[in-house]
Amino acid sequence: MAAPVVSRVRNLTGSSSERIGLTGLVLVGVALLAVGARWVSGPIALVVLVLAALVVVGFITLAVLGSPETKRALSPYGLLKPGSLWLAIFYLAPLWTLLKISLSSKETRFAVFPTFSWEFSNYGKAFSDFGPQFTRAFLYAGIATALTILIGYPIAYVIAFRGGRFRNVLLGLVVIPFFTSYLIRTIAWTSILADSGPAVKVLDTLQLSGVLEFLNIMQDGKLINTPAAVIGGLTYNFLPFMILPIYVSLEKIDVRLVEAAQDLYSSASRAFRKVVVPLSIPGIFAGTLLTFIPAAGDFVNAQFLGNPNTTMIGNSIQDQFLRQNNYPVASAMSFVLMAIITVLVIIYSRFFGTEDLA
Amino acid sequence: MSVMTKRGRAGRAALNLFAAFGFLYLFLPIAFIVAFSFNDPQGKFNIVWSKFTLDNWKEPFSDRGLTDAFVTSLQIAAVSTLIATVLGSMIAIALSRYRFKGSAAYNFFLVLPLTTPEIVLGSSLATLFLGQSVVDFGFTTIVIAHAMFQVSFVALTVRARIRGFDWTLEQAAQDLGASPVRTFWKVTFPLILPGILAASLLAFALSLDDFIITFFNAGSTLTFPLQIFGAARVQLPPQINVLATVILVVTVAIMGTGSFMGERRRRRLGQTA
Amino acid sequence: MNAPKRGFSRRELLIRSGVVGAAGLSLPAILAACGGDDGGGGGADELFVENWPYYIDPTEDGATGTIDRFVAASGVKTTYSEAYNDNLEYFAKIQPLLGTGKTIDPDIIMPTQWMAGRLRKLGWLEKLPVDKVPNAKNLEDAFKNPPSDPTGEYSLPWQAGTAGIAYNIDVTGRELKSVADLFAPEFKGKIGMLTEMRDTIGLLLLGLGINPSTVTSFNDAAPAFEQLEKAKADGQIRAFTGNDYMDDLSLGNFAACVGWSGDILQLQADNPSARFVIPEEGGTLWWDTMVVPKGAKNTAAAAKFMDYVYDPVQAAQITAWVQYMSPVKGVREELAKIDPELADDPLLFPDDATRARLYAFADLSDDVEAEFEEAFSAITGA
Repeated sequence: MAAPVVSRVRNLTGSSSERIGLTGLVLVGVALLAVGARWVSGPIALVVLVLAALVVVGFITLAVLGSPETKRALSPYGLLKPGSLWLAIFYLAPLWTLLKISLSSKETRFAVFPTFSWEFSNYGKAFSDFGPQFTRAFLYAGIATALTILIGYPIAYVIAFRGGRFRNVLLGLVVIPFFTSYLIRTIAWTSILADSGPAVKVLDTLQLSGVLEFLNIMQDGKLINTPAAVIGGLTYNFLPFMILPIYVSLEKIDVRLVEAAQDLYSSASRAFRKVVVPLSIPGIFAGTLLTFIPAAGDFVNAQFLGNPNTTMIGNSIQDQFLRQNNYPVASAMSFVLMAIITVLVIIYSRFFGTEDLA
Repeated sequence: MSVMTKRGRAGRAALNLFAAFGFLYLFLPIAFIVAFSFNDPQGKFNIVWSKFTLDNWKEPFSDRGLTDAFVTSLQIAAVSTLIATVLGSMIAIALSRYRFKGSAAYNFFLVLPLTTPEIVLGSSLATLFLGQSVVDFGFTTIVIAHAMFQVSFVALTVRARIRGFDWTLEQAAQDLGASPVRTFWKVTFPLILPGILAASLLAFALSLDDFIITFFNAGSTLTFPLQIFGAARVQLPPQINVLATVILVVTVAIMGTGSFMGERRRRRLGQTA
Repeated sequence: MNAPKRGFSRRELLIRSGVVGAAGLSLPAILAACGGDDGGGGGADELFVENWPYYIDPTEDGATGTIDRFVAASGVKTTYSEAYNDNLEYFAKIQPLLGTGKTIDPDIIMPTQWMAGRLRKLGWLEKLPVDKVPNAKNLEDAFKNPPSDPTGEYSLPWQAGTAGIAYNIDVTGRELKSVADLFAPEFKGKIGMLTEMRDTIGLLLLGLGINPSTVTSFNDAAPAFEQLEKAKADGQIRAFTGNDYMDDLSLGNFAACVGWSGDILQLQADNPSARFVIPEEGGTLWWDTMVVPKGAKNTAAAAKFMDYVYDPVQAAQITAWVQYMSPVKGVREELAKIDPELADDPLLFPDDATRARLYAFADLSDDVEAEFEEAFSAITGA
């Protein structure tokens, strides 16, 4: 009875094994997602888990009994399974629960679990009450990203084209500061920018305070507790995330191309603009994503370096979640943040053309 | 090379100068952190320079809360990095060794956690943990949260590192009679190990430093960054700077040794840098 | 009311020597970490106390701290943690546990009285084993049966304090006397306020002539919120702080801020130009309370601890260090033996006239409290 099944298994071709492997992976992933996101619960969840386990067992049987071709086809799926399952439960399922809670409301003020009730007003509230925080978050993140490009591109350029033997050392130098804690680095800026600290003293001596005050970089003689300080903090903390991707794309550029361009164009700067910059676009693209996205959701910089008028959406989400216990609205805000960022990223990629990010 | 005009030379110099200032900028806060580890603060917050002392270095662990949180962070990082390294490396091998259906989509899926803002990752995980009673907020939830973003990170990093790997070596080994398992352990694994180690080291550092995601999922447990954040409202002892400097020095040492040994290996194997 | 200059206090020596305060006592919160409710052991031999930072005298400079003395006297193995940083944050941490019928590790926690009231109404507190706390009779009459705990069975005050105006006279150039001084244009961008809603709004209400003990609805307090909102939008307020206002004041980042009475003596040790005043319109009164969360394992040990700290001799030691108002009778006399100057300090032992100017914030119903907190967090910008 088993013999024909076994021989059929042995005779599975590579491509049909692939299809089986992929289906198996997806099935088990969905099963775990369903349990994690609580689409099913109680006894049904148990049933789903058992089914998933069966699929895994079937997969393993196939891998053991199958022909070498089958084994080969199935191995990637086997390797992918554990990691994907982990991500399915702990990345995808949470997004689902976030969405669910964002549409829930609390029955009593201190109930632990909000109940699902298609409460779209949470989203309304997220926009109406926290509109300024959203705007500020994107504004500050945008300015900070632009600044990281301005500061980071030349640094990446110098390392890539002038680094020579010391390239790795220089790259190391870029990365080393970021092995201190994120919090401690930001707190260090409170020292540097303090009212009685060196930065203000230097500016006063150079008599630049008036100019900076005019530009609204300083406010009432303060460098810290200003929007500029928050943006400065964001710029500093995300600078390596811009330098490294730009470096990677610059490094790939064949130097001879640049030389040829310099021969063909009258000036080095034109060669730069026409040849180097376009080739480094993938790096700038990747860097922008790695900078803008985390910066938009940040709250640490605004907390330590800002004032009550510079709070970003991250501060609000954190407060609503961890102090006001307002999970539904906080989740809505979180979701809106992600949605807006996704839209921006899509528009941005259309503009730049998607490139391999890895 | 084309002839360098005077303007060209000036431009070059300006650029180099700019880059130099850039590096100074990068290291400015670090200089402050290290310098202030020698400060004897006037008040409770180590923000204004008052006077030099070596006492902080003599007693770096005098702040029990800080030290305990640091130990907790190390423990969490160890466990989560282990999980993430195993899972992530498996994914990386699958992605680079095989061509299979769905690999492009999978690539995209893998990058997603890294492009989601930490606050969304943190708050969404918190909502997941809220609605269940199997696990309470604490050590376990933090480990899970860290391992989650570390898996993506390790997978992508290892994949980038083993990109140039010559998989035909495996074929050669098997032609010589080794079983697939033996081939993996004796041939493939030792060669991709440096990449895996590098990735796991970086992942370890990420876990130690993680704040936002941990903040949402820690319950009453305190990791090093959480302890600093909580304490920062009451006091900033110089011991924070001491510990930070120690982490920095150790990481630099590891990195330096790693690249030095990599350099030696390369030279021994006769490959060019 | 300006506190008299003092010489070196124990606390000061502590900061000067660079060793962190309760270092000798802060046993790991890691014990609380690994897995929710496994407290370990039980009965009368172990205790876990969760308190605010710097709220108990530590073992240092040759003096034995209260916790160590308690351990020696009672034989109870005590874990003392200082992770209680903020009422709302702590509540959010314990809510998933206590709200679902689970237990938390600490046997005693120290919420401010309004938070204790909330916990009591939610049924998350055990009744205090008062028959095992004979010294509870030493509780000052003023604190008996407050609105937050009408039967007095759920909470025992730890320390009390007032919120008033702390300022740096070098920066302000003059003495401040009134809440209105916080809004003086010359201090633009140099004013601090507390994240503790009842202290900030309470003070503002007093400045507007409204009695904070009698507000029952949001409308009653709306003028204060409007005033605060305007001040924030105008850039008058530099930051909303917790305990971290002290250094800002010392450094001159704040000209003036809403601050707490117990901090001023420490402040002056660091910077003699720091002053504290209960405004002429009045100040707010608050107190932190010892409560036992539901399901706590070591209620007997908790009772021993409470009994111990309500002994005027021990209470005086605590007060000598934290320098807040003690709710225990007889502390003044005991304190006079240790630190006579402190025993005469009007901030620690206010006379009747001053007492009359201190107002505890009204006990708000849940809905009204929600409105207050929402409005406040909208202003603090979070």
